[in-house]
Amino acid sequence: MKLGVFELTDCGGCALNFLFLYERLFDVLEFYEIEEFHMATSLEGKHFDVGLVTGTVSSHRDLEVLREARNRSDYLIALGTCATHGCLQASVELPLKEKLKAVYGDEGNPMRALDPKPVVEYVTVDLAIPGCPYDKNELFQALIDIAKGIEPVRPDYPVCLECKLNEYECVLVKKGLPCLGPITLGGCNAACPRSGLGCIGCRGPLPGEVNPAGEFEVLKGLGYDEEYIMRKFKTFARWGP
Amino acid sequence: MIIETREFTRVEGNGKAEIVIEENEVKDVRVKIVEGPRFFELLTLGRDFWDVPDLEARICAICYLSHSVASVLAIERALGVEVPEKTELLRELGLIGELIESHSLHLYLLVAPDLFGYPDAIRLATKHGELVKEGIALKAFGNRIRDLIGGREIHGINVKPGGFGRWPGWEELEAIEREAKALLTVAKRAVRLFSGIGEYGGKAELFVATDGYLTGDSLISNVERNFHYFERIEERPLVYSFAKQSLYSGKPFLVGSLARLLLKAESLTPTAKRLFEENRERLEAGWVSYNNLAQAIELVYALERAGEIAKTLLDKGFEPENVPVEAGDGEGIGYVEAPRGVLVHHYRIAGGKIEYSNIITPTAFNHAMMEGALLWEARNLYGNAPEDELLRRLEETVRAFDPCISCSVHFVRG
Repeated sequence: MKLGVFELTDCGGCALNFLFLYERLFDVLEFYEIEEFHMATSLEGKHFDVGLVTGTVSSHRDLEVLREARNRSDYLIALGTCATHGCLQASVELPLKEKLKAVYGDEGNPMRALDPKPVVEYVTVDLAIPGCPYDKNELFQALIDIAKGIEPVRPDYPVCLECKLNEYECVLVKKGLPCLGPITLGGCNAACPRSGLGCIGCRGPLPGEVNPAGEFEVLKGLGYDEEYIMRKFKTFARWGP
Repeated sequence: MIIETREFTRVEGNGKAEIVIEENEVKDVRVKIVEGPRFFELLTLGRDFWDVPDLEARICAICYLSHSVASVLAIERALGVEVPEKTELLRELGLIGELIESHSLHLYLLVAPDLFGYPDAIRLATKHGELVKEGIALKAFGNRIRDLIGGREIHGINVKPGGFGRWPGWEELEAIEREAKALLTVAKRAVRLFSGIGEYGGKAELFVATDGYLTGDSLISNVERNFHYFERIEERPLVYSFAKQSLYSGKPFLVGSLARLLLKAESLTPTAKRLFEENRERLEAGWVSYNNLAQAIELVYALERAGEIAKTLLDKGFEPENVPVEAGDGEGIGYVEAPRGVLVHHYRIAGGKIEYSNIITPTAFNHAMMEGALLWEARNLYGNAPEDELLRRLEETVRAFDPCISCSVHFVRG
């Protein structure tokens, strides 16, 4: 099967994380040929059984790359929180013109920048794997499943559950830290609580039955002001209570 | 006439170059960073200082820990916090891990295919599997250190103002000491391999680094010592790039491995110092392509230094203990050597909230030098070599800088 990796605007981490599979990368290569992946190869492909696309659409260049990736891939995966939810760079709430002016100092837009938005707002994807970065085991499993003709399983539990399974001390209850674990989609194996710190919500909101309003009240009860909590909620996925 | 390259491959981020030809002569080269803007300083404005290092880490995945540490150092300076030696040593260990991860990624997976004439490391592995596996082993080791100190291989949140969320344990440090020793042979082989690299990209004349090997209080160069970035270095926006360009007293300059070795060789560990001396004459010539060789020598340094740090902490013993940090007012600059060069985080904090923030990344510092190096190559090859060879060489020249394009596209007006 043919694989393409396409990078829009991001930190490079979601493409890099794929290489961090180390020896297991060779297991992936048993099923896939990497036809295009500009961070890793100088080759260019034409058509892909699976395309991975990372980053936000932040310029007309990105939009063209995304449309090409969609048109040339049978199965397209939005990979990482930039692609699925917009992540940090999409969370600055100012008109594009003002943002560009603050950074580049004039009112022009010669490079044709767009307001950063996730991939899923422009094209339909077949699978979305969030995370900043996503968990590389999740991608590995998804690629193997697709190669075998099985639809990949999507996690449907909060970070909180993984924290409990690891028997980490609850940082929200015991330390009063602002932890978004109860309302954030799991799959990272509770990376932040492992360090004794609160979950920062990088995998975005847990779909379905979730209670952000309750979380909001809990954090308010712990003494955090409303603006602080709202910014925490909005940082990675622009969600509200 | 303008010749445009395709987007660079085997580099981090999205960029390309155009060569301006007039009357059959190369007049100019422009490096166009087409990666979209990322607005990181705007994102940090008004934020609680405590949350800022975790966000700044997201500027770049290859060097997230350099961003975390630079951010934490700037915050601690602004708020008048001093941390004990054990904390400094562990942060240095994290940066060393990042150096290993980043340099091995660059040398083995991005540059080595050029040395052997392959399009990528996967195809290179069909003939030179051992070499690729050695690179992967080094990279995995660097990442294990990043996971331990930073909290994750990418974008961990463990490095905090005043200390760490979770402190490493004895057995983990013992394992690092042991593995660093075991991998030293591999790194020495890398130096032999990359000492065979050719001379290209023109010669750099001005070099800038931080005053300590991986962190510092100020900057140094080959013409002066101990200055702040805003005293000498000017940034300007360009109409053709999302990254700004920096000049040092009006001239392009080089940051990164080659600059570090030339300015701070006396700080190297014994084997790294010996390997530097063996290659000193060539390195001092300043060819941009020798940045690759300099990185290989730094791999040896990093492995020796990782072992030294682990041993010091194990011998002396330490108790995990964080320094309390109170919200307050102040201004601070964090200077860090990211794997590819000087990184600056500068904040002003009022009542615990970020009021002003400025970040300059290595690729932005190198941007003007990169154009100079490409101009040199283009003038050298245009008319003397087929166009595809010219374009290939330009791409190799860009690669020698190990650019980190994602990092470079988010500056705020100073």
